[in-house]
Amino acid sequence: MLGDILLIQEKHKKAGETLIDKILDSKKEKYIVAISGESGSGKTELAHVIAKGMRKHGIFAKPMHIDNFYNTHPLKRRQWRSEQGIGNVVGYNEYLWDDINRVIDDFKNGRISEMPCVDLVTEQVDKLITDFSEVDMLIVDGLYAIKTEHVDFRVFIDLTYMETKEKHTKDARGKEVMDEVRWATLAQEHKMVRSLKPLADIVITKEYQVEIL
Amino acid sequence: MKEDVLFINKNHTITAEVILNKVLEERTDKYIIAISGESESGKSEISHYLGILLKKKGVKSKIINMDSFYLVSPDERRKWRQEKGIKSIGYNEYDWKTVDQVIGDYKSGSKSKMPFVDVISNQIDTLETDFKDIEILIINGLYSIKVKDAALKVFIEVTFEDTTEVQKQKEIEEIDDWRMKELKQEHKVIESLKGEANYFVDLGTSMKMYHL
Repeated sequence: MLGDILLIQEKHKKAGETLIDKILDSKKEKYIVAISGESGSGKTELAHVIAKGMRKHGIFAKPMHIDNFYNTHPLKRRQWRSEQGIGNVVGYNEYLWDDINRVIDDFKNGRISEMPCVDLVTEQVDKLITDFSEVDMLIVDGLYAIKTEHVDFRVFIDLTYMETKEKHTKDARGKEVMDEVRWATLAQEHKMVRSLKPLADIVITKEYQVEIL
Repeated sequence: MKEDVLFINKNHTITAEVILNKVLEERTDKYIIAISGESESGKSEISHYLGILLKKKGVKSKIINMDSFYLVSPDERRKWRQEKGIKSIGYNEYDWKTVDQVIGDYKSGSKSKMPFVDVISNQIDTLETDFKDIEILIINGLYSIKVKDAALKVFIEVTFEDTTEVQKQKEIEEIDDWRMKELKQEHKVIESLKGEANYFVDLGTSMKMYHL
């Protein structure tokens, strides 16, 4: 996403290094890594660290944020969810899976690909056009990323939104931003994300330790 | 740029707030703000925060980073510069034709395609955006004060040592001898352009700000 602020800490770097070793062990052509976790768990940071670290091994990796692939516009999502009932609609069925699969297929075949890219400042959905011909590895991150088909390596971050609560309650200036709808959404996302945990090959614990399953 | 890591601190938020007030006072239709300053002076952070503040005021702004508009791609730039000599570093490295085209699209409120560097893969992707509802364009970049159409030309002043310190912290790139030469040349070019700015921000110890 455009205008997403990453807070890369030592723990991300450490876990990232261990993951890079694991990934290199099983690496093959056009490899796909997926990272799932709840809001605030550090998926994007981890994806960034891994992708960047791969360059040192001569591997061109590209992060892809699949939270860009929602079926509703960012500005209309909240109202739509409230109308439909948060418990009914919030979850992995909100992703545009056909579009995700198309991009995955473009990557596998080294084609030029188009994908949505949400700008968090304008709250518009821009379009990103990228050429996958030179890209060796795709690192997919997002709430429900490990549900994606054709993924070779699935990482699940075991931190819940309650454990990263502080991040959600205040914005960059310490202003309260939470309300009932947002909490209910996080609670439902929590349920949906957790249901995907059995798919994981690797779990990042609450303490950010790497656990192989 | 895609995957750019931002470290927003108090200096950035205060600066953005000062710029915000000025923008709200002076803005006209299809207003353009240029935010310039040396490498790691906090341009991206201030631009981002300004965008967020404008959003809170109900004003839609789009941020464009001129680092994506170099004629030579990031992976080839160092070699190119070494071949051409240190004097090749400067605002002529930008693809001004494309910059002007994007500004034209913004002014006419149409759809626009622009280069978009992914800082991890160093690939130049293309970003397609619609300027229809965009009320303010924020252009951030080393030499963005060279943008003729910018009404507000902000220059962020930091000392050269501060800059290299941040760069070390962010681990963006190793500062070797050549990079040091590059930074010095950029510094020289920027110093020569500074006079074209109409709003100065000093992020030194005193945090003083003044308007010409």
